[in-house]
Amino acid sequence: PKSSFQASLTYASSVAAGAQTAMEECKHQFSWDRWNCTDNALSMFKPNTLPANRETSFVHAISAAGVMYVLTRNCSKGAFEQCGCDLTNNGKKAEGGWTWGGCSDDIAFGERISKMYSDGVENGQDARAAMNLHNNDVGRKAVRQTMKRVCKCHGVSGSCTTKTCWLQLADFRAIGVFLKKKYKKADKVDYVRGQLTENNSASSKRNTGLKKDMVFLEDSPDYCRENLTVGSRGTLGRECLRGGGKNMDKYEKKSCKRLCKDCGYVPKRITTEVTSSCNCKFHWCCSVKCSQCTKTVTKYICV
Amino acid sequence: MAGTVLENLSSRKLFALGGVLLVVQIVFFMIGGLIAPSPTSPIRYIASKCVDKGHHKSKWFVPWGPKDQVCEKVQDFDEATAKHISANDIVFAAHIPLPNREMVRWFQFLLMIMELDVAFKVHNPVAENAVVTMEAGLAYRDDKSAEWTPVARSTEERKLVCNFSHAKTIDNEGRYYDCDMIPLFELGSCYHKYYLINIRLPVREKQNINLNIGDIKDVNLIGIHQNGGFTKVWLSVKTTLTPTIIIILVWYWRRVTQLSRKPVLLEKTIFALGLSMAFINLPLELITIAVDVPWMLLLSDIRQGIFYCMLLSFWIIFTGEHLMDQSERNRLSVYWRQVGAITFGCLCMFIFDMCERGVQLTNPFYSIWVTETGKNLALAFIILAGVCASIYFFFLCFMVFKVFRNISGKRASLPTMSDARRLHYEGLIYRFKFLMLFTLLCAATTVIFFIISQLGMLIQLSHR
Ligand SMILES: CC(C)CCC[C@@H](C)[C@H]1CC[C@H]2[C@@H]3CC=C4C[C@@H](O)CC[C@]4(C)[C@H]3CC[C@]12C
Repeated sequence: PKSSFQASLTYASSVAAGAQTAMEECKHQFSWDRWNCTDNALSMFKPNTLPANRETSFVHAISAAGVMYVLTRNCSKGAFEQCGCDLTNNGKKAEGGWTWGGCSDDIAFGERISKMYSDGVENGQDARAAMNLHNNDVGRKAVRQTMKRVCKCHGVSGSCTTKTCWLQLADFRAIGVFLKKKYKKADKVDYVRGQLTENNSASSKRNTGLKKDMVFLEDSPDYCRENLTVGSRGTLGRECLRGGGKNMDKYEKKSCKRLCKDCGYVPKRITTEVTSSCNCKFHWCCSVKCSQCTKTVTKYICV
Repeated sequence: MAGTVLENLSSRKLFALGGVLLVVQIVFFMIGGLIAPSPTSPIRYIASKCVDKGHHKSKWFVPWGPKDQVCEKVQDFDEATAKHISANDIVFAAHIPLPNREMVRWFQFLLMIMELDVAFKVHNPVAENAVVTMEAGLAYRDDKSAEWTPVARSTEERKLVCNFSHAKTIDNEGRYYDCDMIPLFELGSCYHKYYLINIRLPVREKQNINLNIGDIKDVNLIGIHQNGGFTKVWLSVKTTLTPTIIIILVWYWRRVTQLSRKPVLLEKTIFALGLSMAFINLPLELITIAVDVPWMLLLSDIRQGIFYCMLLSFWIIFTGEHLMDQSERNRLSVYWRQVGAITFGCLCMFIFDMCERGVQLTNPFYSIWVTETGKNLALAFIILAGVCASIYFFFLCFMVFKVFRNISGKRASLPTMSDARRLHYEGLIYRFKFLMLFTLLCAATTVIFFIISQLGMLIQLSHR
């Protein structure tokens, strides 16, 4: 239909930007994991090229979240003719309209368009489609769940006799962290009679838990070794972190063990001389005045 | 003291009156809950980053709209860096409202709050006492093709208080600080259809302006206005109530003046209370639909202040007049200390209000909260007001306690009276007690409401 074609043109750049944001965040979240979110960019638009494992669940969830996030923000920038309350074509009339009672939040708009895009590519009726739809949903919910509530008092002399509160988006990093936790708790499921059900029926996890968590159908491959057919690049040649003392958290401190030792590789110390800028004088944007310094940098690489 | 209205009513009529008052109250609650939308709407605007190479101070930059009006934009500052655009060339522009909408006069006021998205960078942190200096401008137009008419331009300094709740490591670079909201401006009327905000954050290295404010990624503006539906429901309730109050007032005063004696102090006080109630109810806000009245917010603050001042004084006089000790009162001068203190308190609040909303009439960007002294002064005011309210409440409680003690004294002498007299007195005492408790309930709820709302603000402030 014409309207949906026009819509796809208007939102395409935001959707692309959202997917991009999501992939950058994914790379960040998995920078010290064996699987480091490579080769998955924009995978949500070519659904079934990836194995149906835990990592793919994450990619789907974070992509849906990223698209929703960017759409919501762009709505606040005035990028779209229609967002918030003017979208009455869905059969869902906004209560009272803009003049009477304000608009529904932009987040609902972002959610709807993100749903249209990321769920739209799933046209199958199989286990894979069900899994992707579920994970997209988890991603979109993550955007809502990480929102913060903020209030402002504006009564007589600034008192709280009148007060306005609203929800606001967290920064995308917080959504990434939230989804990483969900990734760790993801459930393996089966597809039975058109429904996703808990794979290990002995475990006492309730169906409600399934609704909130990410789901996957297949176990992940061994990401230590390269095996491109299952989407693993191996950890040979990957960088890991060591030393650094207090500045590193547990996850980073164990990166050499996780990436090299546990895979049978050895972290090799490499020192290089790097010229970089230092003693910079920053402005809040754009221009930076720096002098050049050389310093030795120590890196560890799995060999 | 000869009663005028309530004391002459039979118990049945008294209960009927109470019932009617209760029903009316419930109806108003229902109207508020079922018909009216929430009082205010917050709307987020993310400012677009317009490029102003020539530093056109008088030009207005429009973030979206027809192609020929829209400014040259950059998506983010990486793009700006690549294009050799410096911080001084950036103008943050926001158009209010969002596309396909327009502001209407029913919105009554427009309050704008600014939030900066500041990304953490190890080598470019936000300084401890960072101050943002901004050149902010506000303009309006009523026609999509018209020129922008400036409302105000001002150079404002706002404190930038930011916390970083994560470890300050390279790994966390790019996460945002938790920055406090910055009040931007407050418009006492929302008379025009479209508003435009332009904000510059000029960097002056020699004067050390805007140097240590971190790495700003975005400027968020949150616009708060009253909902049109709320204004309409609220004004219609006011409009129906005003004639009712005026009719009751006229009837009451005629009845008082028809008596052979002069009106007593209590009757005058009740009349004054009624007048202040009528004044606060007067739907003056309807004028804003036709004319631009930026001082309406100030006026409604003043009306509210007068009403509260009157109400607090009334309670003192009411309990005082029922003390039933032998001393002669019935003169305002007896209560000059209490009433004077209440008036003084209200006057303080008025001056404080004038300092904020009064100055905002000429410069909407002004805020008393942004300077250190202003903030302390405001806090001192609020704490003082809270203390005064508590003292007032305890004093009132003490007065009521005295009245009840005197009543029980009177009661001891009741059995010696004749039957008819005794019944009359018992009825009176019963009603006094009833009214006292009702008054006390009103006073307590009002004061508690006030303290809670102030506490809410204190918590919000200490949260920063
Ligand atoms: C919004 C809140 C604070 C409204 C409070 C309304 C209070 C102030 C009103 C409601 C009913 C009123 C009472 C109704 C009747 C009488 C009888 C008269 O002989 C003395 C005054 C007295 C006792 C009034 C005092 C004021 C009163 C108690």
